[in-house]
Amino acid sequence: MKSQAQALVQFENVTLGYRRNVIAKEISFSIEEGEFVGIVGPNGSGKTTIVRAILGILKPQRGDIRVRGRSSERLRIGYVPQRDSIDPIMPFTVSDVVIMGRYGRLGMIRRPTSKDRAAAIEALKHVDLLDQAASSYRDLSGGQKQRTLIARALAAEPDMLILDEPTNGMDLASRTAIMELIKHFHAEHGMTVLMVSHLLSDVANYVKKIMLVEPQFFQVGSVEEILSEANLTRVYDLPVMVGEWMGTKVIIARGKRV
Amino acid sequence: MSDFEIFRTIVTEFPYALLGSLVAALLCAYLGVYVVSKRVVFVGATLTQVAVAGIAFSHLPFADFEPLYGSIVFTVLVTLLFAWMLQSKSVPRDTVLGASFVAAIALRILMIQKSAAAEVSEIDAILKGDILFVTAQQFHLLLGVFIVLMLIHLVFYKAFIFVSFDAETATTQGFNSRVWEMVFYLTVGVAVSVATRVVGDVFVFGFLVIPAAGAILTARKVKNIFLLAILYAAIPPVIGLYLAFKLDLPAGPTTVTTGLVLLLVTWILSRFKH
Repeated sequence: MKSQAQALVQFENVTLGYRRNVIAKEISFSIEEGEFVGIVGPNGSGKTTIVRAILGILKPQRGDIRVRGRSSERLRIGYVPQRDSIDPIMPFTVSDVVIMGRYGRLGMIRRPTSKDRAAAIEALKHVDLLDQAASSYRDLSGGQKQRTLIARALAAEPDMLILDEPTNGMDLASRTAIMELIKHFHAEHGMTVLMVSHLLSDVANYVKKIMLVEPQFFQVGSVEEILSEANLTRVYDLPVMVGEWMGTKVIIARGKRV
Repeated sequence: MSDFEIFRTIVTEFPYALLGSLVAALLCAYLGVYVVSKRVVFVGATLTQVAVAGIAFSHLPFADFEPLYGSIVFTVLVTLLFAWMLQSKSVPRDTVLGASFVAAIALRILMIQKSAAAEVSEIDAILKGDILFVTAQQFHLLLGVFIVLMLIHLVFYKAFIFVSFDAETATTQGFNSRVWEMVFYLTVGVAVSVATRVVGDVFVFGFLVIPAAGAILTARKVKNIFLLAILYAAIPPVIGLYLAFKLDLPAGPTTVTTGLVLLLVTWILSRFKH
């Protein structure tokens, strides 16, 4: 078993909330380098709050968050927000968006250099969007926008990739393409990935570890432990079936409340 | 008077009217690109009324200081207050702006009631957009503000653009979005307060919106939007002052109307292009 000091991110009895509203109480977990972790749970359960704490946007009310064993260290995170939260009026090109992934390395004043532009091009190649570099971001399909945002996150050369509902509102083909892309980065490049999703089937077939977030309750464990019929039936207050078909996990709610 | 004589009169007799309106137009046009793309257009309308209220306040018997300072202090205080309220999201954005807008107008009317007739006519001239009597001192102050604010925006361009596009991700990359939003609103507040004193509220609000709208219709790249907005802003003050002289109209509204016509032509041409 790896020592706690080697964990990329370690939460120790962390309480998170906004003023008096406590969202997550005394939660503890670790994310090891190279893991692919999913965060699932009902709407409003606190998934986004935990992500904001990992991102460093939200400070814990109590407890300790450590990066590589130290409270003072910060991770370089490639963040992929929900696609619908970005709706620009200005005609940003795909290149304009991806180069923003380098801004964190440049500080407040320095302009992007040829090295930054090269990193942006490399990121676009990874997501197979180099031919769209000069295209307007506004005019892209949902899947292309998502790949652009993933490229932006990769351009930052991050320690960890965090994706918030990356397949939201996509058709089957686009969803599969995005998930295979994320899986590729995890498998081929050893990228540590944290993915928030309410699509349990996506999560079940790609991640190795799951955090299940409920209001005032938190579980972390393997896919088999967390995504069991008993657990999901209790969490979602619906009879849930978990099965397998041709090697793919399938999770279905039967639609009748217990 | 021939057209040549009109232009010569403007340049020789009212040079600061022309220069002041050009500088105000360029400054408002640049900031207006962010105002329009961030969908906070009503912020411009509200701040211009707050600036006029500040000018009215400085004319009250117990106040009696340079109206420009009243405009700046009022606008900066209100900018800080509603920048904070807009970020806290506890009250809808348009409610905050609407309440501020009507409060500024109401306060201005009340304060004018208590001012001497001479001061009322000065406020009246600002509201009508009578910019012919811009003084050298006012122009130099406006120019100084233009230079400082443009330097801030050009040096920290990355921060302003990133926060405008995606504030949440910008924060994860070390750009404190709350701070940069506050800085943005403060630069708009200072620009509006000084420009309103010089060229009037209609001019300022008009040039926060119209050039940026025209640029967004035509530009295909982000950097071109700023250049086009400045270009669209540079033309109406010259034509507007000429028309104001020729037709005996107030210069500010005439300039804004000229800008609107230019926007309409741009829109029609862009429809044909598509």
